Amino acid sequence: MAPTRKQHASLGFEIPSGFTAIPVKFQLTSKSHHYLYVKEHRVRSENNTKRPLDRTLFVLNIPPYCPEECLYRILSPCGLIQSIELKEKPGPEEEPEPEPAPSKHFRTQSSKGFLVAYVVFKKASSVTAAKKLRPKEAIVLSTEKQPIKTGLQRWVAQYSSASLLQADELQAEVDAFMQAHDKRVAEESARLAEGDGVPDGEGWVKVTRGGRRPALPRTEAANLRAVEAERRRRAKKELLNFYTWQHRESKREHIAELRKKFEEDKQRIAMMREQRKFKPY
Amino acid sequence: MKMKMKRKVQETAVMEMEKENEEELSDLSEEEDGDEGGGGPGGPLKRSRVQGKSLGDGVLKPVKLTKQELYKPPTNEELNRLQETESLFHSSLLRMQMEELLKEVTLSERRRKTIDSLVQEVTSLLASVPETTDTELSDQSWVPRGVKVPLLQVPYSVKGRFRMAPPLSVKLVGSYPLGTCSKPDVNVDLAVTMPAVLHPKDYLNQRYHRKRALYLTGLAHHLSSSHAFGSLRFTYHHGNHLRPLLLLTPQGKEERSVTLRLHVCPPAGFFKPSRFHPRKNNVRTAWFLGQETPQQDISEPPTPHYNNSVLSDMLLESHKSFLSASAADFPGFREGVAVIKVWLRQRELHQGYGCFSGFLASMLVAYLLSKHKINSMMSAYQVLRNVLQFLATTDLTESGITLVKGTDSTLPALSEFHDAFQVVFVDPSGHVNLCGDMTASKYRQVQHEARLSMQVWDNPKLDGFHALLMTPKPLVRTFDHIFHLPAVVKLQAACKKMELLSELMDHAGNYVAAALPFIMSLLQRGLGDRVRLLAHSLPQSPEWTIDSEPPKHKDKGLLSFGLLLNPEFSTNTLERGPPADSAQALEFRKLWGERAELRRFQDGSICEAVVWQGGSAFQKRLIPEQIIKHLLQLHANIPESSVRYVGALLDEVIKVGREGGSTGEEASVQVIQSYDDLSRKLWNLDGLPLTVTSVQGAHPALRYTQVFPPVPMKPDYSFFRVEKSHRSLLPLEGKPCPAYVPAIKVICHMEGSGKWPQDREAIRHIKAAFHIRLGELLGQQHRLICRPAPTHLDVYKDGLVFRVQVAYHRELQILRETMTPEGMVRYRDNEEALRLELETVHRPYLTSTLHGLQQQHSVFGATARLAKRWVGAHLLSASLSEESVDLLAASLFLQPAPHTAPSSPQVGFLRFLHLLVSFDWRNDPLIVNLNGDITATEITEIRNDFIASRSSLPAMFIATPKDKKNSVWTKEGPSVQILQRLIVLAAESLRVLETQLTDPTQPQDVKMVLRPPLDIYDVLIHLNPKQVPLHAQAVDTPRIVFSRGALPSGAAGGSGNMPVVDFNPVACYLSELRDAFEELALFFCDPFGGTVIAVLWKPQAFAPQPFRTAHVKARLVQVKGSEAQTVPNVEAILEDFETLGAGLVREVEVRSERWTV
Repeated sequence: MAPTRKQHASLGFEIPSGFTAIPVKFQLTSKSHHYLYVKEHRVRSENNTKRPLDRTLFVLNIPPYCPEECLYRILSPCGLIQSIELKEKPGPEEEPEPEPAPSKHFRTQSSKGFLVAYVVFKKASSVTAAKKLRPKEAIVLSTEKQPIKTGLQRWVAQYSSASLLQADELQAEVDAFMQAHDKRVAEESARLAEGDGVPDGEGWVKVTRGGRRPALPRTEAANLRAVEAERRRRAKKELLNFYTWQHRESKREHIAELRKKFEEDKQRIAMMREQRKFKPY
Repeated sequence: MKMKMKRKVQETAVMEMEKENEEELSDLSEEEDGDEGGGGPGGPLKRSRVQGKSLGDGVLKPVKLTKQELYKPPTNEELNRLQETESLFHSSLLRMQMEELLKEVTLSERRRKTIDSLVQEVTSLLASVPETTDTELSDQSWVPRGVKVPLLQVPYSVKGRFRMAPPLSVKLVGSYPLGTCSKPDVNVDLAVTMPAVLHPKDYLNQRYHRKRALYLTGLAHHLSSSHAFGSLRFTYHHGNHLRPLLLLTPQGKEERSVTLRLHVCPPAGFFKPSRFHPRKNNVRTAWFLGQETPQQDISEPPTPHYNNSVLSDMLLESHKSFLSASAADFPGFREGVAVIKVWLRQRELHQGYGCFSGFLASMLVAYLLSKHKINSMMSAYQVLRNVLQFLATTDLTESGITLVKGTDSTLPALSEFHDAFQVVFVDPSGHVNLCGDMTASKYRQVQHEARLSMQVWDNPKLDGFHALLMTPKPLVRTFDHIFHLPAVVKLQAACKKMELLSELMDHAGNYVAAALPFIMSLLQRGLGDRVRLLAHSLPQSPEWTIDSEPPKHKDKGLLSFGLLLNPEFSTNTLERGPPADSAQALEFRKLWGERAELRRFQDGSICEAVVWQGGSAFQKRLIPEQIIKHLLQLHANIPESSVRYVGALLDEVIKVGREGGSTGEEASVQVIQSYDDLSRKLWNLDGLPLTVTSVQGAHPALRYTQVFPPVPMKPDYSFFRVEKSHRSLLPLEGKPCPAYVPAIKVICHMEGSGKWPQDREAIRHIKAAFHIRLGELLGQQHRLICRPAPTHLDVYKDGLVFRVQVAYHRELQILRETMTPEGMVRYRDNEEALRLELETVHRPYLTSTLHGLQQQHSVFGATARLAKRWVGAHLLSASLSEESVDLLAASLFLQPAPHTAPSSPQVGFLRFLHLLVSFDWRNDPLIVNLNGDITATEITEIRNDFIASRSSLPAMFIATPKDKKNSVWTKEGPSVQILQRLIVLAAESLRVLETQLTDPTQPQDVKMVLRPPLDIYDVLIHLNPKQVPLHAQAVDTPRIVFSRGALPSGAAGGSGNMPVVDFNPVACYLSELRDAFEELALFFCDPFGGTVIAVLWKPQAFAPQPFRTAHVKARLVQVKGSEAQTVPNVEAILEDFETLGAGLVREVEVRSERWTV
């Protein structure tokens, strides 16, 4: 197994597509190892400040038991690290959340499985240093000093931390959030109310949800309702089976309907016959 | 013992784990089911196998007709056909179905030719039977070696003389000349008229029967010398041992295609029919008992069955000509009878002693024709319908019918027939009762089936054709409880005990036939209202080679009985009898023997009564067993040990608690009571800013379908880390994993109000605030321990933990809201909204409807639990959601056709397996009509929608009233492959179970079907039982039991702290594994105490792939020149299995070398 390991004298190696493989293993006694694949971050279309092109290292295949801190420890020999962003899939940065305040209780689900990371160094040279990492031995993730909890230990810890939640802390966070929210909503409605009922240059008056004369809401459902009501009104006026052609038409429709049904049934039967569904026993 | 699965099927299933919905199953080659003649015991299974797979393009597609085709002017012929369809059949589909069915069962021209030539050959051979010299009947030394007389000659000595001679005539009789002969049992009857060896007084003391049997022996010997036949065997005509038949089959590969049956009969009119009046005696007691001189003072009892058997032989030909006359100019006759025969056969009514034979069906059609209830223009469907209608409404046990036209005072009256027989249907001659051997309870079964079938035909929502004509109804799947008498020889003692000498004489010593009617009426009396139907299996006719002795009565196999329970009364523990001083009291005491006792009732009356033991619902369901065993012991001398009762063998695996006296119904009720109380408290809370509008359960335990319902738990504090400030218990690492306490989910809808924010984040926060507030109020007002969290509130009540989740009905809409560029608000589904809808709308709806279903059908819960247990035991519960299994179980109760709704978990489970196996998942949506809310037109709509978008719908499609188009519960799985595997497993389990349940001689280990075959998996991760919290629930109860910090229910212990809730390391481990290695492998585990996680590599993940940043998870890069390819880093992955599950994993066992790339 793993013939690759024997092919390379040093455990780390380079891959034609520009990645460097860095071996990592869980603990000293582990017999096998995974590889982190690292490369400088280079995506043309992306030009945001959080992943500066020259200083960002793109890391693939991070084992599920390797937390952020551990990655920090592995890569810090290459230079000072500014930030680490762990994600499930490589891809553009998410939209910045409207809530800047980091929430303790309302965190979105943390990523799971094998992860990717964008590591931003303080200096551009660190990226090249990281790409040159060629350890003789696989890097150990869970050391004596900084053991990583896995398995039962981890689950017990997870359960305990989830259970030991302070109700008042949660309440405080909710209150703070709601205050901010209410303020935002108030501002918004004030902005809308300002425009309400004021004719613009051509004399059009804007009607809003909270205005004095509430109008039909502009939703899809409301549109459909209006169309439906119109159709019904029209249908009521129409006379059915009044003219001879209508009679003829309805008869034709009836026969067509029967034919269609017949064809459907025929197809069904043919299929069932093929599947030998008519063999009763 | 493990079940052997078809390795091939599994591998195919595994090979294509990716979602390529269409073609996976097509590569299974169509099994050519070559032998047309043999149905055989494997019949139903074989059929279902065929259904399980399909041909290359076996998917229905919507029909597209061009406008021209649709609107072209109709031809006369077309109009006629369309019109005829409307008047003669239900629908055009039914018409075509019937036509196809008839094509399947009618004989091919080729086969008819074979038969004709065979008949000719036999006829000419018979003409050359050599004559023998005249000998005494009791001197049978002339019988050649190699042939044995096919009759039990008891007593042996009979007066009369016999010799062999060529027959007077050989004629075709029965179904073949009539054209009603149908596959698969192609029997051609030949009537061989005996030559002048009979004496006019031969009607007496079985003399005729002896001569008949000897003549048959002679014929058999003669035919055996010709080598023209595949086999020569004897059998009894419909199990009547006085009427042996000779069976001939052609040689070569045609052997199984047809059976020639030789009947020997006296010349027409040889005996005077009036000798066989049902009140006359033709078997003398003295002769029967072997006494020398007749006792003078004894009046001889009538022997109607004996008389009937002689007459039936004599009238074979006249019956045939009568039927031929009826069938002339009536095409529907032939087809109608063929369809009725299919109907009878599916219900196992068509053969055996006292069966409803095809001959009887023909006679009945002829009767209805003569009574103008059927006319000769009718189609097969109408004939079937009219016959069923007639059977459903006419009770032949009370008011018999006769084919005699006009009145003839010399013939026996109907009332005389009624005195002698249980079921009366008199033939055209007026002397024979065609239903002579049928028991009243068999007729009632026929009647019950007919009534049920009529209901199905009349229900536009059902596919009557499939349910009634294509679905087999074996005893074990039809009846709620069954029991066997494996040793029928015990009935001999029963006859003695019940003093049935005259019946024994009448049945010529056949004690089974003699005792059966009496046992049935005894049990019927004892069970009374508890059963809707009590039926027995028909003693089958054995077949034996001509050189062996005829089988004795005791060798005819076991006798089985079936009970359809009446759930309203079947579980009553008290049987209230007549008042102590009334006349019936004596009778009551006689029936029940020592079990009868006097009781004073609440209304002050003192009555006779019987009290049966039954504490739990499980025990109460088995009260019929107590009754039957008691009555059989008391009145028929049949010891309890020889009655094998099959009513609750499977219930073993869902039993809860140590004592094993309950299958968990009581625990469920307790949970629901506690929940009801909680919901009342939530409703009435003071001090909430908004009122509660509804409280709905959303957990299987709240619809009675949790496999192991939660039991109140009292924690042992020394076992946990006690966190005083939070009033919580936490698990300790060193100890065994604490007992699993499920969180019972409850959805609490809050009133809508303008104060709710219109933003999803804000709603989440407000809900969290509600959880806190609810917790505070419940604590203050009801002293309940609560623990709030952002997403829910845990409430510890009565030893159970409820997880209350606040919901706001507008949240769904808000989640779906998107704004178009024009500024119009649109609603679009997204994952988050769907998940919320599932949780707050669908699941509560399902829970409350199924809770309602349980109130109507008390065994629904247990059935669903057995089903889930089975799915879990086969490690597949991750792919088949609990809700979908519940729905499958519910469909058995809502659409039981052709059965009645199950009244025992056992039969429910068997039908669940059968549903999985036989349903055409590919081409049919399973419509579960909860509350009957779906109308017939909606059903058509669902079908059409389904066909139109089949490829985008889940492999298993279940429609409910609230979910007609999406099948929300099966969206996530099972995939086509898993479904296929489920079907294979279900077919095998069903086969194993049914053989075990119907045959008491088989090893009785029902748990066999719950032990999964593990040979297909690549890696097995063995877990440390210490850390598996549900270890004690394992199918095979483990010997080692770990203490898990729960005090016995009676012990005094604090309940001031929240126990460890919903903490299951196995589940945590599985989810981590799936998160990490989803792309590489599938993980399977039994959630109920399984200590093995089975891993299956995905083959396509193991093919080397080019290096792509999105696909390098847990993969190893191999550099070849300038190309980089990746393969899974198996060695590291296997080590990861151990790392991720540190403390839980005991061993990772690699079983196959398939991963070596």
